[in-house]
Amino acid sequence: MNSVPVSAYLALALILFCIGLYGALTKRNTVIVLISIELMLNSVNINLVAFSKFGVAPSIYGQVFALFSMAVAAAEAAVGLAILFSLYRNSKTVMIDEMNKLKD
Amino acid sequence: MDMKTFLSLEWEIMAPEFIILGIIILISLLDIFMSKRADRKVLGWIGIAGVIGAAVSLALLIDHSAASILYDTFRLDSFSKAFKLLLLIGAVLVLFLAVSYEPKEGIEYKGEFYYLFLAALLGAMMMASSGDLISLFTGLELLSISSYILAGMRKKHLLSNESAMKYVINGGISTAVTLFGMSYVYGLAGTTNLKAISTYLTRNLDEQHIYLLGLAFFMIFIGLSFKLASAPFHMWAPDVYEGAPTPVTAFLGVASKTAGFVLLVRVLLVIFLSVPSDSWPGSDPLLIKVQDYMAFLAGATMIIGNVIALRQRNVKRLFAYSSIAHAGYLLVAVATVSTLFETMWFYLLAYLFMNLGAFAVIQLLTEKADSEDISHFSGLYRRSPVLAVAMAIFILSLAGIPGTAGFIGKLNIFIGALITTPAHYVLASVMIAATIVSYYYYFGIMSQMFFRPQENGEKVMIQAGIGVVIGICAVGTILFGIMPNLALDFLHTNFDFTDLFQ
Repeated sequence: MNSVPVSAYLALALILFCIGLYGALTKRNTVIVLISIELMLNSVNINLVAFSKFGVAPSIYGQVFALFSMAVAAAEAAVGLAILFSLYRNSKTVMIDEMNKLKD
Repeated sequence: MDMKTFLSLEWEIMAPEFIILGIIILISLLDIFMSKRADRKVLGWIGIAGVIGAAVSLALLIDHSAASILYDTFRLDSFSKAFKLLLLIGAVLVLFLAVSYEPKEGIEYKGEFYYLFLAALLGAMMMASSGDLISLFTGLELLSISSYILAGMRKKHLLSNESAMKYVINGGISTAVTLFGMSYVYGLAGTTNLKAISTYLTRNLDEQHIYLLGLAFFMIFIGLSFKLASAPFHMWAPDVYEGAPTPVTAFLGVASKTAGFVLLVRVLLVIFLSVPSDSWPGSDPLLIKVQDYMAFLAGATMIIGNVIALRQRNVKRLFAYSSIAHAGYLLVAVATVSTLFETMWFYLLAYLFMNLGAFAVIQLLTEKADSEDISHFSGLYRRSPVLAVAMAIFILSLAGIPGTAGFIGKLNIFIGALITTPAHYVLASVMIAATIVSYYYYFGIMSQMFFRPQENGEKVMIQAGIGVVIGICAVGTILFGIMPNLALDFLHTNFDFTDLFQ
């Protein structure tokens, strides 16, 4: 188990984070954007858990932090989807580029 | 933890938070059991009473020495007390605005408004007193998630929906960025306690890890710039300010921004002020090393906010850019670090009065109308001289004209940027230039009020709640402009900010 170095976990988390950021910034569909944000938040959990096992000073706090961040991410996704629902009822679209009523 | 140790904790230092929490539970239950047609305003009044109660209990704790409970996750130190006081004052005034808010199509869910608002306030207060990354993060998210819903409160109003959606997406990205930075800080220190992180990193930081820590610093700083509405995460502010109900906009402009600065200062000063920035002993702390970058972001924020505000016709959008610019001025204080607490506290106090006052007037003039065009202010002096004079006071203060609290606040920041070594001449001159640019759009509103012919001749009715807010804000703006020592002496006699680091 110890044969996997900590840098591999960190690299995985970083790659997931970048994929999520790319998706959140480029996709048109709001649902995909919300999923991309989830991906970014989950890459943080990989980081935290990897550090709590193989970090400079391993401790249990990382896993506690990961639990909190999961709960918060779930709440954020729920609120995001609820707002998307009410937006969809009024405008019949989930495409980001059609949400352009507010602009300069 | 057994029952005895549980009860032996000093729970009384959390009294303000418990009061707010109790009120949230009370009004959410009342909202369920009240009949459907009953007026929900009474919940707002209970909320106001609760926030005042929390402020009183905080005032009773003011002499309490610095203490912490729950494994140092909750700290009551001078820093948290001083800034929680600001948050509570802001919350009372915003609740007065919310009680009088009656848009044309009505708000279906007015009860929710009050307890989500108080939940956001609770999150901000927890942030102000937390001593641990986990509780900082949960407080931040309690504030953010409640604000997302508040922004979308006018459910049938398309602009409100859209602003809430944009807020969630921007907020989600910035949360993830902050959290990613925090995870590196945790990884390098092996603990989430701010104090322990600082101690560990100061002693044991491997020189190979310094760059990783620098990266973590920037991710946290960039992510938090979302809460401050400063560059590079400022683009949500105009859209959300325009679409959200006006009391919510006022809340985002004042309480949410205060909370952002509180979080920024706590994380930056406690963790990064003592961490070395290089491998040799005696090198500058990391926070000093990155000052130039923070100064750059502060300058960019001031310029972006003030320049784009020039071409706005929508009043709420204009004030969004103005609030971005004010975040830039405050970042100047953060970037130059000197006498940070007093400067920032005073500026946020001044900003609270002048901005909430301005939003009270905006709410009064635009809530019944379809648009928020600046022409709503035309001929205001003839329609309601009192309102026009009050708005003039707030605008003069926002522009930073002598005799108002905004001027003293700006002067403190300006002097702070010059007396620190090395002096930040460039930043100070950018600040002056940005302020002069801002005169153009602030005085545009003034000329609408005093020199344009009135568009519709109706008199403006001032509701009691809004009248109270405008009165308090105008008095506060003038009083602290003429006698700033009232506030500063209060700060110096009651608070000793060095206990932040104990």
